[in-house]
Amino acid sequence: MEFLSDRGSMGLMEKLGILTDAAKYDVACTSSGVERKGNGRDMGNCVKSGICHSFSGDGRCISLLKILMTNECIFDCKYCLNRRSNDLPRATFTPEEICTLTIEFYRRNYIEGLFLSSGILQNPNYTMELLYRTLAMLRGKYGFNGYIHVKAIPGADGELIRRTGFLADRMSVNLELPTADGLRKLAPNKHRKNILGPMRQIQNGITANQNELALYQNAPRFVSGGQSTQMIIGATAETDYQILSVTESLYRQFELKRVFYSAFVNVNQDASLPALSGGPPLLREHRLYQADWLLRFYGFQARELLDEKRPFFNVLLDPKEDWAVRHLENFPVEINRAPLELLLRVPGVGVKSAKRIVAARRSARLQFADLKKLGVVMKRAVYFITCDGRMMYPTKLEEDYIVRNLTGARDRVQFGNDGMTYRQMTLFDDGGFLGRPTAEDELRVVSGQL
Amino acid sequence: MIVYQCENSLEGVLTAIYQAYEEKCDHADTRISLEEEAFLFAEYRPVVTDAEKARKVTRTLLRRFGEEDYQQLCLCLTSSDARRGQAVYQTVVKGLALRCGKGHLFDQLADADVHLAFSLARNAGRELHHLMGFLRFQELEEGILYARFCPKNDLLPFLMPHFADRFPLENFLVLDEQRNLFGVHPAGKDWFLLRNEQLAAGEENFRTSARELRMEELFRYFCKTIAIGERRNPKLQQNMLPLRFREYMVEFALYKSSE
Repeated sequence: MEFLSDRGSMGLMEKLGILTDAAKYDVACTSSGVERKGNGRDMGNCVKSGICHSFSGDGRCISLLKILMTNECIFDCKYCLNRRSNDLPRATFTPEEICTLTIEFYRRNYIEGLFLSSGILQNPNYTMELLYRTLAMLRGKYGFNGYIHVKAIPGADGELIRRTGFLADRMSVNLELPTADGLRKLAPNKHRKNILGPMRQIQNGITANQNELALYQNAPRFVSGGQSTQMIIGATAETDYQILSVTESLYRQFELKRVFYSAFVNVNQDASLPALSGGPPLLREHRLYQADWLLRFYGFQARELLDEKRPFFNVLLDPKEDWAVRHLENFPVEINRAPLELLLRVPGVGVKSAKRIVAARRSARLQFADLKKLGVVMKRAVYFITCDGRMMYPTKLEEDYIVRNLTGARDRVQFGNDGMTYRQMTLFDDGGFLGRPTAEDELRVVSGQL
Repeated sequence: MIVYQCENSLEGVLTAIYQAYEEKCDHADTRISLEEEAFLFAEYRPVVTDAEKARKVTRTLLRRFGEEDYQQLCLCLTSSDARRGQAVYQTVVKGLALRCGKGHLFDQLADADVHLAFSLARNAGRELHHLMGFLRFQELEEGILYARFCPKNDLLPFLMPHFADRFPLENFLVLDEQRNLFGVHPAGKDWFLLRNEQLAAGEENFRTSARELRMEELFRYFCKTIAIGERRNPKLQQNMLPLRFREYMVEFALYKSSE
């Protein structure tokens, strides 16, 4: 692909390239959680469900113009591409440039809004003020009414964060690493305290604002889309159980809207970081997201899914299947009678289909053929449910049997670019074992080693 | 069997429903047909679209099923499936007979007609949501924004309110290429639909503005840069963004040289 380049000095194109490249490892690109109609004057509105405007080559959604204000960072975090000790082109946007890009992209329906993060330029306060000024200009002078997600810079003054919060729809402070220990090792300039501080402040701000809104409908809104955070997965030695417990406490104690996970990509080849021969740990990230959904929408708790003895997720089964086969005493579940909470625990039944089941069984006795219409994934659910007291096929309610069938002939979700799938090997399988046996092999067969 | 043949529009179907109730038909043995369908031993009755009758039905539907379910019925009718009229009719009949409350019209998914109406509406709703994101505007010489698209369902009337709310002070134009239908929004005024073959034919004469190409290039560059090389996954990308939308999207356009 070629691109028309700018004529002139460090043009907008070049800056956009550098600062997009620097921002791409940030995960959150959602525009959901805020419903705001247009006001008839300013450009923009927000849709509750969020809108994806495009999808990049890695399959991730492009919803927001995700850029850094600057990548001239004074910090030296070992995992970060923009750390001080890296030798790479640096650039800083002016607030006008960001506003122009946002407005022009938004008008053409390329994006849903702006995601503005930043490296630490000079000091946290200076950077935060720069972010605030940009947002103020975008909302004020340019009359932008769309979605804005902005980072709160750890260590910045509370008042600056508060004022920025009134201009943004979502704020986030990156936790970066799940434990304080990991943070100390890899991000020497960041402290757990500095990260949790602003997080707590935003939480309190949101609560206070809700009380205010209850009294005065037209009070200005503070971070109406809630706050989020992200963690890097696989850079340090934390277990899935630790990560999930941290997540759970973030949801409970800090009332976060979302926790994002980012499979670690070793961009710096730093000696203190693990070398990932198999690419980023995408499967692990996927399992964490699955478990995250179970926590938020299915009424699961972290210690139900994992514990100290089994601190990692099963590679072959998703967390819900894994839980189900270990708790067969709850199954089979009778579709026509079970309460919603129990339906939600059946693999293959999602939140929507569980609600549809509850609604549909008021007027009819559901049969297996109906379940498919309601959106139940039968190949997963079939081992765990009955309709009118009967199972669909004669299946055994037995851990080994179910695991074998769930992991057997089914097409697995594909991860990464190698199209890795899981498949039960058969006795007659010669895939991967092509080629004649060598003389050495024959010798080993004779000696009983093979 | 009685077959009501009505015009292919929301008002047409609603009028047919009104007439079916007015003439006290046996709903189980009555069909609403939008296209030429041949049935043995059927009595065909043409329906003349009547705005007043349609309005009355709309009022009843809104009162009995609520805003959201009414929207779903409308979305169902944007589909190009030949059975859409019948599905909506039967769903309404069953909803009224069972006295399902507001927001519960589509609860009886075990029923074939309700399920059909539900899945047609869901399909249209998904495409509508896709298009809200994937529609691309170009800036023409006078600062007018112009977008083309070719949806499977007839969604332009649903798309216009979203963009009119979003860009209240922009002049914009959306063309449904397959149906030759324009959605027009003059700045600060209400939007309207326009069926105009001449305007559609003169479409090649639309000139893009001077900075348009530059903005397109900036966005294409952004889309390319934002992808993480180590996570490349074209299959996932294609799942999320089907190829049929890409024809109209700048970030998938091949390199254009500036004229």
